[in-house]
Amino acid sequence: MSENAVVFKGTKEGLYILIKEEMNLDNIKDNLNEKIKPSKRFFEGAKIVNFKGKQLTREEFDELKDLVENDYGMSVLEEYSPNTDMLSDKEEIKESTTYEKLPYDNVIQDKVLILRATVRSGQLIEYTGNIVIVGDVNPGAQIKATGSIIVMGTMRGVAHAGSNGDYGAFVSALNLLPAQIRIGDIITRSPDGLGIRTSVPEMAVVKRGMIFVEPYLPNR
Amino acid sequence: MGEVIVITSGKGGVGKTTTTANIGAGLSQEGKSTVLVDADIGLRNLDVVMGLENRIVYDLVDVVDGVCRLRQALIKDKRYPNLYLLPAAQTKDKNAVTPQQMQELTADLAKEFDYVIVDCPAGIEQGFKNAIAGASKAIVVTTPEVSAVRDADRIIGLLESNGLKNPQLIINRLRIDMVKRGDMMNIDDMIDILAIELIGVVPDDEHIIVSTNRGEPAVSNNESVAGQAYRNIVKRILGEDIPFMNLESDQGFMTKLAKMFGFSKKK
Repeated sequence: MSENAVVFKGTKEGLYILIKEEMNLDNIKDNLNEKIKPSKRFFEGAKIVNFKGKQLTREEFDELKDLVENDYGMSVLEEYSPNTDMLSDKEEIKESTTYEKLPYDNVIQDKVLILRATVRSGQLIEYTGNIVIVGDVNPGAQIKATGSIIVMGTMRGVAHAGSNGDYGAFVSALNLLPAQIRIGDIITRSPDGLGIRTSVPEMAVVKRGMIFVEPYLPNR
Repeated sequence: MGEVIVITSGKGGVGKTTTTANIGAGLSQEGKSTVLVDADIGLRNLDVVMGLENRIVYDLVDVVDGVCRLRQALIKDKRYPNLYLLPAAQTKDKNAVTPQQMQELTADLAKEFDYVIVDCPAGIEQGFKNAIAGASKAIVVTTPEVSAVRDADRIIGLLESNGLKNPQLIINRLRIDMVKRGDMMNIDDMIDILAIELIGVVPDDEHIIVSTNRGEPAVSNNESVAGQAYRNIVKRILGEDIPFMNLESDQGFMTKLAKMFGFSKKK
């Protein structure tokens, strides 16, 4: 029953070790060893902000600190404090689900409309935020979003991303064959005739004031 | 001041849109500045038949609602220099405009173009009323089928009660071999029932399907019999007196060809 005695939690401030309340010190230590050992190199040098959850005594804290610091080369940043309770801890867990610590640049946190359907001719899907269509968009249909548009299927209609003038918005589809793409107030249309048929997922973005369509997974 | 012509039929699928596209392209070929108006709001097709779908930014409803100027919504054709299209809206329905608004719109277009050709939707409801509102002349399209002729008759009655006297008739998709076998209504029967002036007979032609799917009107295709028929219709609209094509000679040629290849026609 010691499997989940401890949990590693990443938050805005850094890494915490969460300890279940009902566990005794031996269980905690066993579990810590169990969790860290297989990926010892991963944890080496990691900075733990503090322990959380179970109210630790001074002795317990020192013992655990000693374990992670000496056996596994991690460091505990904060000093022992007796008033870490579960309540504030729950808030921390909630906060840890925000994306602010994601190590990427292009993180979109706006609202997203997810639609699982075939969007047919004459249908207009309009949304303040991003739109994800799980299905096809047929000719004569129109998708209009203030954010970006993603089509998990074939895009044959008119896509208008960044309809409030956001040139950073994009349009991507598994099969991008639109009649027209608009990003902000830039409009481009598909070439006349049958055009080029690619089988790779593509993405339309604004570069130098023009709309460019390119594969977004260049290695496929 | 240009002329506003509405292309209508009552029944769907008889070739209103194809006829509109070909007459428009034909008039343009003859040097007349022409604008095609798609009045089929919510089920637009004319843009697809013309191959101009991907150029649509504004549409008829946007013009009527004052979202854009009329000039902005007009799409220049890719082949004919003096041919324009005013597309219908696809995400709205027929009630998005009123006959009054259509009247004003076609009047504005008639100031700038020699011909305004309105593609009417099927049916006799709001869409039909909108399409005929600004027209000064009507062309009724029918096929040699009892149902299509019946609907054409109804439409002619409605046109006349709306002040569009003397509509003209186009018989579309005629198969002369079937007429000869007595399997299809012949031209005289239809004129007998409908009692209006015949302006053209368009034979059934594979080229039409090909050209419609490609978005290129058949009227510019010299090999297409239907294209020839449309060229003649255009000339008659322009007031020339063109004799009707002898469709049977074409049949004879086909028969000769068939014989050459060793097929004998079943009698």
